[in-house]
Amino acid sequence: MRVTFPLMAIGLEVAMIVLFWLFVQYEADQTISQQLNTTRPTKMDSFVQLYPLFQDVHVMIFVGFGFLMTFLKKYGFSSVGINLLIAALGLQWGTLVLGLLHARGEKFHIGIKEMISADFSTATVLISFGAVLGKTSPIQMLIMTILEIAVFAANEFLVAEIFVASDTGASMTIHAFGAYFGLAVAGVLYRSGLREGHHNEESVYHSDIFAMIGTLFLWIFWPSFNSAIAEPGDHQYRAIVNTYFSLAACVLTAYAVSSLVTYRGKLEMVHIQNATLAGGVAVGTCADMDIQPYIAMIIGSIAGLVSVLGYKCLTPFCATTLRIHDTCGVHNLHGLPGVVGGLASIVAIAVGVSTIAMQAAALGSSIGTALVGGLVTGQQK
Amino acid sequence: MRMRLALAARCARGHRMGSNYPRSVRRCLPACVLGVEVVLVLIFAFFTSYDPSPKDQKMVLGAYQVLQDFTIAAALGLGFLTSYWRRHSWSSVAFNLFMLALGVQWAVLLDGFLSQPFPRKVTINLSSIRLATMSAMSVLISAGTILGRANLVQLSVMVLVEVTAFGAMRLTYKQVFNLDDHRSMMHIHVFAAYFGLAVAWCHSSPLPQQKEVQEENVPVSRSTSMFAMLGTLFLWMCWPSFNSALLDIANEKKNAVFNTYYALAVSTVTATSVSALIHHQGKINMIDIHNAVLAGGVAVGASCHLISSPWIAMVLGLLAGLISVGGVRCLPVCFNRVLGIQDQSGVHYTFGLPGLLGGFTYMVLIMLQASGKPRAGYVMLIDAGALSFALAMGLGSGFLTGFLLKLRIWRAPPVVKHFDDQAFWEFPHLAAGF
Repeated sequence: MRVTFPLMAIGLEVAMIVLFWLFVQYEADQTISQQLNTTRPTKMDSFVQLYPLFQDVHVMIFVGFGFLMTFLKKYGFSSVGINLLIAALGLQWGTLVLGLLHARGEKFHIGIKEMISADFSTATVLISFGAVLGKTSPIQMLIMTILEIAVFAANEFLVAEIFVASDTGASMTIHAFGAYFGLAVAGVLYRSGLREGHHNEESVYHSDIFAMIGTLFLWIFWPSFNSAIAEPGDHQYRAIVNTYFSLAACVLTAYAVSSLVTYRGKLEMVHIQNATLAGGVAVGTCADMDIQPYIAMIIGSIAGLVSVLGYKCLTPFCATTLRIHDTCGVHNLHGLPGVVGGLASIVAIAVGVSTIAMQAAALGSSIGTALVGGLVTGQQK
Repeated sequence: MRMRLALAARCARGHRMGSNYPRSVRRCLPACVLGVEVVLVLIFAFFTSYDPSPKDQKMVLGAYQVLQDFTIAAALGLGFLTSYWRRHSWSSVAFNLFMLALGVQWAVLLDGFLSQPFPRKVTINLSSIRLATMSAMSVLISAGTILGRANLVQLSVMVLVEVTAFGAMRLTYKQVFNLDDHRSMMHIHVFAAYFGLAVAWCHSSPLPQQKEVQEENVPVSRSTSMFAMLGTLFLWMCWPSFNSALLDIANEKKNAVFNTYYALAVSTVTATSVSALIHHQGKINMIDIHNAVLAGGVAVGASCHLISSPWIAMVLGLLAGLISVGGVRCLPVCFNRVLGIQDQSGVHYTFGLPGLLGGFTYMVLIMLQASGKPRAGYVMLIDAGALSFALAMGLGSGFLTGFLLKLRIWRAPPVVKHFDDQAFWEFPHLAAGF
């Protein structure tokens, strides 16, 4: 660890710097200096207006995901620390890979949208990190970051450019993808010696409150996540409103179902920490569509229900029968709600537009590439 | 070790008196909450629609930023502000999120129905969600007095009643007193604090064993006090947005932000220094800091757009800080014990008293502005009426809710389980030692 990790991290960083030198340029906005009085929105305007949204996404990635994973009693430092490491490396690599793919290997410019997309691409790795939390070293995580973002970029390219499917809040390309990638890796890394569980794999009172900080940050900023890359105006407004009400409905359902499935009607902290966010994941794909708020609320409620039931039934089943040990339960928070989101978008589109096949293809390809990529990544270790 | 023994003693006691085990809410809670959610979805389906007007990115994102500040203040700020009881932090934070989610959905509908003739559809835009978040915050404020003694079913009933009462109060302000949104919203502190106190008064049950239980559970521990500080800081940071959000004129908005900013700063300094001053060894009490640093923002709320120079806001912040720290020391001894109110989270001196101070300040400022004009007395009378209406409405609906919550059908936790997360949460690990 003393030699390998620093060497590898610095080596990667040097490679990033070289690649940035070769390929990345700032966006040059000619209009600012020439015509200050213009009413036409310039790129600079959009930068200033979108910067707060970028900031919100940033808070979600670094604080939200980081603290959400601090629930383990002896793994809090690593959760927040490795989260920061992965996100910092991932956003550089994400900028490069996404930029190169979309520019077909030419030099490309970075603007606020590219920064937001780079943050999004790190989210996939952080979600997968949740599945293998506590079972990997930082070196393995560095490798996983590089591989997963490359696969993510390929899938995103496929979905956005070839299928031309709509995935504003990235339920499929980020959440479902990240979750199934993580599950595949966790499946490969399964150790049958730990079938009975590990004595460190539990939470204590205060570690759960720390995790609640992460939950609240994610809950508050989720509308920004779903609306950050939506088209300005009506689409963005709808994305915010839909996500907000989906989350609110999801909270109520998650509490109710958690109480329903637990002994004596008590609540369970792991449900509250995770299932309250499922609504934001599920509404992502159709966030900016012209569904009405009540549809968003129904999607949120279904996601909350599915997520709590997933924690109650599916996680034990996966761990014992399928031999996949999913530490954070990312399958229930990101995987299933992501699939719900994809299905919801298919239904929403079924009304008029003829791209159902493409939307279904996007969902399928997200899960497919995630599983294949995850299995390959797991084997590399 | 001592804690283990105490726990064992408690378990033994619980064994002897079987009724001390909290009653199961497994049927009650899911049925109530899912029922409410289904009703809400149905109402949304038939009576709401998107805002059809064309939107500009700048406007949307501007409104969204303000909404975001509110959500931070409500979910993080108020959630963690009440999380300082040693064994009740989970419930404080998580129930707060639940009440916010329920309150916002109901308040959006209610505000929409009250502000227009019935058959028309309610249009949902970002500013209506913002108003709804504010209304829901009234519940979160007053829940501080009852958290730890009520279960989630009772809290959801309280959310529905209080949001309705608050909506009715704002409607009355609009139609009878002719107040604008900002003025009517700034009575939220007085309304919410006295609503909460009235509910707490109905729920005070001075049983002999309660003292012992509370000595064990209520004390503030170091780490939970840090969590409460997290909430305080987020509230502190978002307060200027809260006070300025409903003002439309740019100049008033600017004044509101400045005045709130300085009043908060002054009340923080005052609270810290006075807290050290009245301690016999000159130490600072964390409880004072949690509550008193916010007092300035509460006090300046009603009049923040009228104050033209920062020194007035600063004097107000100073007074609010003094009142609040004084309240921490005197109220539990003089007021709460006499009336039998249990106000552990200090809603009365964080929001109630500074809110009253703010109301009086507003009257004085209006008087000074209107002095010499013919209708000065009338204006003054209207303002005094508005303030006392908030007080009366808060107390009245609070008593009503309090008596409603005392019904046995809600399956309230028994007194020994007050301020104890174990009554509400499934602990996968051993409950001892937290």
